Amino acid sequence: MPASTAPEPGEVSDSDLVKRCQAGDTRAFDVLVSRYRGKVYAMTYHMIQNETEAWDLSQEAFIKAWRAMPNFKLDSAFYTWLYRITHNVTYDWLRKKKMHGDGEFDDSRTEHRVAAGAEAVPRNEPAPDIALKNAELGKRINDAIAKLSPEHKQVILLREVEGLAYEEIAQTIPCSLGTVMSRLFYARKKLQEMLKDAYENAL
Amino acid sequence: MKTPSEDHDLIRWLDGEMTDAERARFSTRLAADPDLKAEVEMMQRMSSDLRAHLPAEMTVPYGDFFNSQIQVRLAQEEPLIPEARASWLDWLRLPTLITATAAVAIAGFMIMQKGPAAGDSVVLSIYVPNASVHARTFHSDEAQATVLMLDGVEAIPADRKIVGYYIERTETDQEVAMTTLYGKSGEVVLVVSKDVRNQPRLLSATPRG
Repeated sequence: MPASTAPEPGEVSDSDLVKRCQAGDTRAFDVLVSRYRGKVYAMTYHMIQNETEAWDLSQEAFIKAWRAMPNFKLDSAFYTWLYRITHNVTYDWLRKKKMHGDGEFDDSRTEHRVAAGAEAVPRNEPAPDIALKNAELGKRINDAIAKLSPEHKQVILLREVEGLAYEEIAQTIPCSLGTVMSRLFYARKKLQEMLKDAYENAL
Repeated sequence: MKTPSEDHDLIRWLDGEMTDAERARFSTRLAADPDLKAEVEMMQRMSSDLRAHLPAEMTVPYGDFFNSQIQVRLAQEEPLIPEARASWLDWLRLPTLITATAAVAIAGFMIMQKGPAAGDSVVLSIYVPNASVHARTFHSDEAQATVLMLDGVEAIPADRKIVGYYIERTETDQEVAMTTLYGKSGEVVLVVSKDVRNQPRLLSATPRG
């Protein structure tokens, strides 16, 4: 499961904070929010690539976690549990977007991620320096991820960003191991096609 | 054309999901198949770039506002532990009335204890849950009565009709260290036990009519 942000020495443990939350202590929940908001936000951002909506969905994930707190038995790490909630919230949002037909990739969504000047760099010409090349590759990767279907995006992010093993991905989604492998393979093949020219030009 | 199983082998090799034996077999294939090797290298490079450009943790814009908005929403939520609806048990939560309960419990213990003379009662201990309330007792042999005085007790709300219980008799079960206090009609009024500090502990109470 994803590595949690372990509390620093002297900090209250997640499990103690969870118990306080379960007794209705909203200040304890505030500590957990501060501890994990960066990870939750990153996960939602990578999935939907829109700052404002990622911010809202992260809020939604924490609110859902608060509501589900009485049912959390501490049988897993808090972040693992929170991670699953966040994943479900984000994936549901993506599916709804797709159903409503407005899930097509919107280039304006990633404008804020683009390094200054990167837009002006012609795609087929080498970048003037490594930093700019990296920025361009970053943009291409984000664009390519955005074009994947929610199912493919999901497995790629669970594997590459969160570092989950296949078994853990299968449990999180949930689906069979075979489905995980198929989706990962085709997601990578699609990314490979979309990024092919970026790599060829970089060689 | 590769089979689905061969496709799976490729990504399982990339993701370190193969056994040692499988890995060795796949490495042999890689050495003999330049196209497969090129594809693996491309995917390896892409995985590395994905990880480099998609951080697992990001700075949340307006982080403080993020937290405060969650707190605002929590304040609008139903409490996680729903407050019990107004019932006769409400009075148990009031410090004043808890004290009164303790007093009753003490009365029960006084009755069940055998004093030096038949009919007398002895207060062995007093337990007051609220530290701001002080309890004292005064016993009159002549009046054959024990008076419990409580200082620091708040006024009992006018809408609460709790002034005490009438205890007709008690029964103590030594095996489970539990005393049952009965009312005038033989009904169970209170069930009292003792905690690890030998202090009275109220197990259940019957609402007064």
